[in-house]
Amino acid sequence: MSFGPRPWQQRHWDWRAAANFVFGGAGVGLIVAITIAWQDSPATRAMMLGGAALVGLGLTGVWLEIGRPLRALHVYFNPRTSWMSREALASLPLLGCALLAALTGAFAWALGAALSALAFLYCQGRILQGSKGIPAWREPWVTPLIFTTGLAEGAGLYLAASVWIADVAPAALTLLSALALARVLVWRGYRSRVARHCDRRALAPLDAAGGTLWWAGTVLPLAALIFAQLAASAAAPLATDFAAPLAALAGLAALGAGWLVKFTLVTRASFNQGFSLPVLPVRGTRS
Amino acid sequence: MAGTVEKRATYCYQCVAGPDLLTVKTIDGVATEVEPNFGAACVHPGGGKICVKAYGLVQKLYNPNRVLSPMKRTNPAKGRNQDPGFVPISWEEALETITRKLRAIRTAGLLDASGYPKVAASFGGGGTPQSYMGTFPAFLAAWGPMDMGFGSGQGVKCYHSEHLYGEFWHRAFTVSADTPLCDYNISCGANIEASGGVVGVWRHANARERGMKRVQVEPHLSVTGACSAEWVPIKPKTDPAFLFALIHVLLHDAARERLDVQFLMQRTNSPYLVGANGYYLRDPANRAPLLAGALEVRERREAVEIGPDGDVLAQGSLEGETAFSKLVAHVQPYSPDWAQTICDVPAATIRRIANEYLQHAQVGATTVIDGKTMRFRPVAVTLGKTVTNGWGGFECCWARTVLATLVGALETPGGTLGTTVRLNRPLSERLKSVKPGPDGFMAYPLNPTDREHWSPNPNIRNAYRTMVPLAADGPWSQALGPTHFSWMFLDETPHGLPRVTLPEVWFVYRTNPAVSFWDTDKLGERMARFPFVVAFAYTRDETNHYADILLPDATDLESLQLIRIGGSKYIEQFWEHEGFALRQPVVEPQGEARDFTDIASELALRTGLTEKYIASINRGAACVPLKTDRWDFTLDPSHAHSRDRIWDAVCRAASAELTEGAEAQGLEWWKANGLRTRPFPRTDWYLAPTLEAQGLRFELPYQERLARVGKELGRRLHEHDMNWWDAQLSEYQALPAWKDFPKLWEDSLRESGGQPESFPYWLITSRSMQYAWGGNVGMQIIKEVADNIAGHRGVILNAGTAARLGVENDDWVEIATPKASVRARAVLREGIRPDTLLLLGQFDHWATPFARDFGMPSMNKLVPMSLALTDATGSGADVVRVRLSKAEAP
Amino acid sequence: MTRWAMVADLRRCVGCQTCTAACKHANATPPGVQWRRVLDMEVGEYPNVKRAFVPVGCMHCDDPPCMHVCPSTATKKRADGMVTIDYDLCIGCGYCAVACPYQARYKTDRASFAYGKAMDDEQARFDAGRVAVATKCTFCADRIDAGLEKGLKPGVDPDATPACVNSCIAHALHFGDVEDPASNISNLLAENRHFRMHEELGTGPRFYYLWDKVRS
Repeated sequence: MSFGPRPWQQRHWDWRAAANFVFGGAGVGLIVAITIAWQDSPATRAMMLGGAALVGLGLTGVWLEIGRPLRALHVYFNPRTSWMSREALASLPLLGCALLAALTGAFAWALGAALSALAFLYCQGRILQGSKGIPAWREPWVTPLIFTTGLAEGAGLYLAASVWIADVAPAALTLLSALALARVLVWRGYRSRVARHCDRRALAPLDAAGGTLWWAGTVLPLAALIFAQLAASAAAPLATDFAAPLAALAGLAALGAGWLVKFTLVTRASFNQGFSLPVLPVRGTRS
Repeated sequence: MAGTVEKRATYCYQCVAGPDLLTVKTIDGVATEVEPNFGAACVHPGGGKICVKAYGLVQKLYNPNRVLSPMKRTNPAKGRNQDPGFVPISWEEALETITRKLRAIRTAGLLDASGYPKVAASFGGGGTPQSYMGTFPAFLAAWGPMDMGFGSGQGVKCYHSEHLYGEFWHRAFTVSADTPLCDYNISCGANIEASGGVVGVWRHANARERGMKRVQVEPHLSVTGACSAEWVPIKPKTDPAFLFALIHVLLHDAARERLDVQFLMQRTNSPYLVGANGYYLRDPANRAPLLAGALEVRERREAVEIGPDGDVLAQGSLEGETAFSKLVAHVQPYSPDWAQTICDVPAATIRRIANEYLQHAQVGATTVIDGKTMRFRPVAVTLGKTVTNGWGGFECCWARTVLATLVGALETPGGTLGTTVRLNRPLSERLKSVKPGPDGFMAYPLNPTDREHWSPNPNIRNAYRTMVPLAADGPWSQALGPTHFSWMFLDETPHGLPRVTLPEVWFVYRTNPAVSFWDTDKLGERMARFPFVVAFAYTRDETNHYADILLPDATDLESLQLIRIGGSKYIEQFWEHEGFALRQPVVEPQGEARDFTDIASELALRTGLTEKYIASINRGAACVPLKTDRWDFTLDPSHAHSRDRIWDAVCRAASAELTEGAEAQGLEWWKANGLRTRPFPRTDWYLAPTLEAQGLRFELPYQERLARVGKELGRRLHEHDMNWWDAQLSEYQALPAWKDFPKLWEDSLRESGGQPESFPYWLITSRSMQYAWGGNVGMQIIKEVADNIAGHRGVILNAGTAARLGVENDDWVEIATPKASVRARAVLREGIRPDTLLLLGQFDHWATPFARDFGMPSMNKLVPMSLALTDATGSGADVVRVRLSKAEAP
Repeated sequence: MTRWAMVADLRRCVGCQTCTAACKHANATPPGVQWRRVLDMEVGEYPNVKRAFVPVGCMHCDDPPCMHVCPSTATKKRADGMVTIDYDLCIGCGYCAVACPYQARYKTDRASFAYGKAMDDEQARFDAGRVAVATKCTFCADRIDAGLEKGLKPGVDPDATPACVNSCIAHALHFGDVEDPASNISNLLAENRHFRMHEELGTGPRFYYLWDKVRS
């Protein structure tokens, strides 16, 4: 095996680590979305459980990734400086509150879960930002990106689930659209800054994922919002028939686009910066 | 870590740039680590460090792919695609099988119908196997005639012209800059950072820090180029033109007084008068050459001009001009402007380099070494392998030595030095080899070319004694003949030579010609016809694939031997100490591996040669003579002796030699201490004082003797209707002229059915420090670390060339000649000429475990063995014209 | 206060990888793990191209990102500046490896050997505690500590000096106390111009690269 000096794709974190960002982010986003639209019902409780399960699934990915799974509890040892420890700590109230919310239906537990979820999501962003070895991660805009996409993914999932359970919840659609819009704006900020530091081989997959984020993750939800508005105003009866499936599709697309971006970010755009020399050694004499 | 920890001193001599002195750590009897022998730092010229190859020794010891018991072939059919069907046998069966053959040969006669030895032996290059084969040389000496001319790369993979002409001109089997004092080094392809070993790297790093400027002239930016102040990307095989142009600048642009006129007058043949026929004008009475009183004059003298075979070409009042004048006129056409069109190096660059060289030469300066005042000339020209072998090698070596001569920088502090002798005697004792010869020059043991002594019947198959006068006739000469002839002539022996035959028994040790020579596919086919091959086998490999018997010898850390260290040896090995170092078993041999000395003793015993064998050891075949007039540790030749008994005697003799007989420590002392030295005077690095003391001159710049020898050789050959060496005879010139050397390779391409425009790239090679000489291609650790250096995983090509061909990094490409092709991954680099490709090292293994999975080709498969591409010294150059195209993965 | 540091003289380094091999030997690292290695770098375009060899490894940073991110506190920094890993605490999450801007950290998920099955020397030195956890250059801390106990001087006495430095055939690698103004490396740093890798990241690497003499 030979590496460098040109940047190369890191191989320490693979799909298992990506799973934490993919499922964990969506899971906490879902919990936040449910809490915002909190109405106690079996479906709501099920979704709360689903959100927690997604977070658990993500953490399982991490557990599978670590070399010493039996020492997993050591992850809590360094909350003083490690965002990974902090994420792990945030997951405790998050999962606890989510389970209690699902059991009791009490908004207070849901709120607790949502607040923990926000903390958890922020930690996820900071985990990447703290990775100084990876230019695409250490860019500070990665934290808002992880944060907004997690929320957007959760909103998308919530919207899709709502459609499946009942009908289009206009508020959910509006929330998704707002988050998708925020996300794409953050993405643009991130993308413009990260270009200064990243190898072109890292930017290429990011740009491919960015295209999906734009069309499937942003335009589609906005289109769905417009359709929903049209359907609601009954100005276009035909739109009524398509509004629900379109909204569900928009939700799933927003979810999928976010997942794609994060998966790409973790596994394909994670080139290190290699090595470079500010000056060249003088060999005998200057020539 | 628990356990009993021990450290034992030993040496590594895997490559010619050794030996390196190391310690091996064992934990509970398991070898775990090697380290430099820190205690040797005070005597070793490389800070006592050890090369990367030494770190492979522990893996070498425990490698699970080792052959660990004698084996015999069960499939009589030999061929690359034949499974040899090796099965383990006992040592008894193996040795009896071998010695039955040997005894039969001794009974029937040692020579075959062609007059060639029936037994042949091939060892790896540079004499390194001798540091591992214990007393086997004593067995070889006891045996009698043996053909050691089946090369495994010698001649085509070595500094061949340097070896032969270097020894002729200044006792320089290898040539080095006096790096510790040199200020300006023009290095034409000399890859010293990869080939100079620990000492070379150490000394050059010191020199760089001191401010030495090295200009690296080569088609690709090697590791040495990387560490140089300047890289000049020259077109392959045009170095003679570059060097001639440097001489031109010194002789035609610079003021004459900037040269070392005094040195030229007093210590060279510059003032010798040369007659109309190109031979020296001689005193009619004693036939001594006539000297002019000035460097550049024409004089008329009463003289005789003697040509080949003593022919008197002219006599009476003859006009002659000095050799120096002839040189000046000779290089007049070779201006930088002329050279730039050939070398693709700007004339201004050539001119600047020549002037920098002259400026740094400090003509007139002196320095004091060990209390002796000597000329100080801190400039040197060094040459690389492909520059010094094959056509053009002579021209480069001559030009390099003339460049040193013109400024008095030959064999003097700061200048160009030889390091050791291998053709002159006494072997390895450089200064003692200086003896007065003809015409005021050093004697040289040229093979005879006179009618009475020259013979068309060579003693061995590569015909070195018949064809190459400069190869001399010592123990090393067999390997310094045209070693590819042994292989080439098996199919078709050229007219005049006895038909080249297969040896009845062939010993192979630490060499793998099936990979390391040229035209490897054909070579393998020839090897398959050898009737009985005995291979000392570390692992299975491409050569022992054709063997009949495999013998597992104890490897580096398992066996016992004492060698000489210090003095001045290969490459950059200039020590201020000399002495001996012991290689000792660090662990018990793995499996049934046996110490080489035990094997040699057993072979001697079973062939009835014990008496001669022990006598040979007594004479010094095992490192040091056991008897002098002051001490006697001789072994009784009437019976066999154990390994330890033999080496104990050798150790005692070595101790006595170092202490003038005062001490006689034996094997146990040496095992505990590992090495012992005494001071070696630094003044002995320089040959010039020895010549001056004997009133001798360097035979430069004019090559009257060689021109005469060439003419005589031509006559002898033609007298026997042997006309196939005529092109080579043209190399014997008093002053070498530029020939269109690249065209020779283009002509060869046309002969094999290609056109230069269809095969536009020059494929060259370069040394891998991590692998060169080491036989360590099966070591995982070496592979792992070597891969950090570009070119170990594919063919290096210019990034611009690759872009034009649509080739990206790691793409597969095909490199082809009209006759053969290989595939390699592309390694895109900027540091290589657009018309040049580089395949590092010699890989392409198909049988060696581990290495056979590298997927790394070698140029050896592509380079033809060709008489047309063989120069007068019998060498060829590692270069071939090829085509490059994108390809599918193999 | 002692602060151990490494100095690589890029003018001297020839990329031979002897330090790489010596490190593997001294530390019995498995295949593919190179705590010390030497990069082969090219700068420029033909024909104006330069090639340089650059030893790299753990830089034992003043402000090591690997330590900050480590969730288990396995990565610590000693008072003498050495960044260490407690193999018993490490969970092998790899976070330190992506946090390190010098790609100095390795993790091998299972025991691996040069030829598949462990040879005698590999068996003798195998340490199961180093499997599936982060590993990296230790500056041969054990060797230095043992040497100090014997009164030896790190960077001067071989038995108190990192294996890579001991092995360097170009005398390009040096080790010593950067806080001691009279130390070998302090002198080198005073006499020569130097830089540190990715200085802009603010990690404060304790690995200095010499590239020219100080010119007045």
